[in-house]
Amino acid sequence: MASSLIADPTSSSHNLYSFSPSDQTASDIRQHSFYPYTDNGGSTLGITGNDFAILAGDTRSTSGYSINSRYAPKVYRIGGEDETGEGAHIVLSLVGYAADGTALQERLNTVVKMYKYQHGKRMTVKACAQRLATILYSKRFFPYYVQAILAGLDEDGRGALYSYDPVGSYEREQCRAAGAAASLIMPFLDNQVNFKNQYMPGSGEGHDLHAKQAEPLPRQEVERLVKDAFTSATERHIEVGDGLQMLIVTAKGVEETFYPLKRD
Amino acid sequence: MDTLVSAYSRPAFEDEGYSSDEHHELVQSPSSLSLKFAMPPVAKPSSFLRALTDDHANPDCPIKLAHGTTTLAFRFQGGIIVATDSRATAGNWIASQTVKKIIEINSCLLGTMAGGAADCQYWLAYLGMQCRLHELRHKRRISVAAASKILSNLVYSYKGMGLSMGTMCAGVTPQEGPALYYIDSDGTRLAGNLFCVGSGQTFAYGVLDAEYRYDLKEDEALELGRRSILAATHRDAYSGGYINLYHVKEDGWVKHGFNDTNPIFWKTKLEKGEFSNVTANL
Amino acid sequence: MNHLPQAWGRPRDDIYGHYDPSHLQTAGPNAHTQQPIVTGTSVLAVKFKDGIVIAADNLASYGSLARFTHVHRLRPFNDRALVGFGGDISDMQYLDRLLNSLDVNENYGSPGHVLNAQNLHTYLSKVMYKRRSDMNPLWNSMLVVGLDGDDKPFLSSVDLLGTTFSSPTLATGFGGHLAQPLLRKLADDESQVKDVTREKAVAAVQECMKVLFYRDARSLDSYSIAVITKEGGVELKEDEQLEGQSWAFADTIRGYGTQVN
Repeated sequence: MASSLIADPTSSSHNLYSFSPSDQTASDIRQHSFYPYTDNGGSTLGITGNDFAILAGDTRSTSGYSINSRYAPKVYRIGGEDETGEGAHIVLSLVGYAADGTALQERLNTVVKMYKYQHGKRMTVKACAQRLATILYSKRFFPYYVQAILAGLDEDGRGALYSYDPVGSYEREQCRAAGAAASLIMPFLDNQVNFKNQYMPGSGEGHDLHAKQAEPLPRQEVERLVKDAFTSATERHIEVGDGLQMLIVTAKGVEETFYPLKRD
Repeated sequence: MDTLVSAYSRPAFEDEGYSSDEHHELVQSPSSLSLKFAMPPVAKPSSFLRALTDDHANPDCPIKLAHGTTTLAFRFQGGIIVATDSRATAGNWIASQTVKKIIEINSCLLGTMAGGAADCQYWLAYLGMQCRLHELRHKRRISVAAASKILSNLVYSYKGMGLSMGTMCAGVTPQEGPALYYIDSDGTRLAGNLFCVGSGQTFAYGVLDAEYRYDLKEDEALELGRRSILAATHRDAYSGGYINLYHVKEDGWVKHGFNDTNPIFWKTKLEKGEFSNVTANL
Repeated sequence: MNHLPQAWGRPRDDIYGHYDPSHLQTAGPNAHTQQPIVTGTSVLAVKFKDGIVIAADNLASYGSLARFTHVHRLRPFNDRALVGFGGDISDMQYLDRLLNSLDVNENYGSPGHVLNAQNLHTYLSKVMYKRRSDMNPLWNSMLVVGLDGDDKPFLSSVDLLGTTFSSPTLATGFGGHLAQPLLRKLADDESQVKDVTREKAVAAVQECMKVLFYRDARSLDSYSIAVITKEGGVELKEDEQLEGQSWAFADTIRGYGTQVN
């Protein structure tokens, strides 16, 4: 019988692996019934320009279908002098499980402050971005349930924005939406910031049409896009609304604006 | 007496708040790429982690990690070609179309990224650190064999805990010539001429195997790498975006662009008459 | 690692065992402190222009049994901070001892300096988050009320997951569904708090306690209520009785018992 010569990888009678495979009956005898995560909803969004970076987030906090609070900010200043965040030069948005978000924000804030005290200079956004990745990865096996976006100005004074997955893979980008309404906002951003699927009128016919080249947008235009993105997301997503908080990083520092959203 | 009492009595609320270790960690100067990981305090951490993150077994799992890839690398007479797509997916959501899946470990060594994006980024960065330390200790560059073994030993020590990575190390060194290794999170480490890794691997293999020869010329080899990724982005929904192409030579690697697949596809179709399954009428 | 294209990079069943969705369930087979036993229901609180009102009933339920009817769930910390507990009563009592030890340590360490409500909230949120991270949660949701560092009214919540949020009006448990919409009529926004008087706030909270008693099967008509102001400190009344109940609406309920139409 040919089949008997082939070891059945699913049979647990003999150990085929150089380590002990998991107990197949795991689900019958589990101990803990506590589920340590929740999702507090909301959405965040970041866009960069030539000399600025904007991070925005709605201020609604939810659990299930209930609204916990209409003002629970999820965009933070990192590396400021005191609890108000005065003097910060980096901003961070965290969406997902709010308690993990708070813990992570405090941890990164401490790191950036300690860096300043120990080295006598401000941490660059690039260094801070790498550090955030390692912090997220240090919880690889018990992840922080958050999607992070970090923004600031790079060494040349240009807007820099980094986006993360929950365990710390990251990438520098022009723009990124995260959270509950990411799937509503991101396609809009692809089209309006990176000019995806936009072509130059009259540049040719059919396959000869030239794609419109993306270029950094002016600040006014970006603020308008952010508002449009959030008012639209509020219309179509139950977990988005109440207020729009925007932190704008420029060479002068961090400015904050607040814009009310629909509260239904 | 006081010392006796304190030796045998514990403060009532010892376990609340941060431990002194955690305090210390915050204040001490940060050690960047460490091997210390917080574990979930449950009986089966890997089962817990899988329940949260396996989007194939459970498409509704709460934490979706960036995944999905086509990467390839092959050896030929002129060095090594490394090519990847640039798409990252979290479930059905395309998380990014602009991922750099070829990681520059140093000026002569490249790593590719398939599987968990964070796993690959973190451990290849860690490998880069180890390679630099090797250079400083031994006053010569590390061989690709040694570098790939550091990585495979490392991931093997985490076997069964839920890492997911399928990576290739490509480099040219004086002692080895062009060397290519495949390493995955099971601990597998293989030397070879040609590898394709990721959800689109089968499609890439189809094209690559048909046209591959060791004595390809440089431009032919680059075109074959590009064409294989193109085939995979065309047929694998989890691959797409841009084609990232590198050529590793004796004196280091050369980058050959990060190009949108869409124009390349239409060029391939209209100028070479391939992809006849697709209509050219818009 | 699975090498088949459709599941590429995912864990293989023969190595990791079958996918175990029970990790994702919030209820299931249990171990020691993994579920609440004797529980308290909602806690409500509202800010008004120079202080804050908080209330909770005096019932500790054992499942559906109204087991203990004189359990006080409002716990003053000092004359400017108070905690209202919902959820597991044994964990509440543990936290009570913890707060006691915190208070003792604070008074030994830095006499003259007092923790305000905001400090207390930060402390409790750290304790709760630490416990959830240890997978050994304290099964409570709490409202911390009082005065902050600037003597402004302070109201914030923390739950067993360490989630925190604040709002001019808050309610935990069933109150989040029943009372919160009523309270929000009073002040839906921080800017409206200045128009809320103490009388209005107290009346609204009392009204909500009544509504909760009508519809929350785990509630009681005897309750505790506290008002915290800068001038008056914590004014706590622990054995209040619901007044002006009207069960006339009960007559209009259709669809239960032997009654058919």
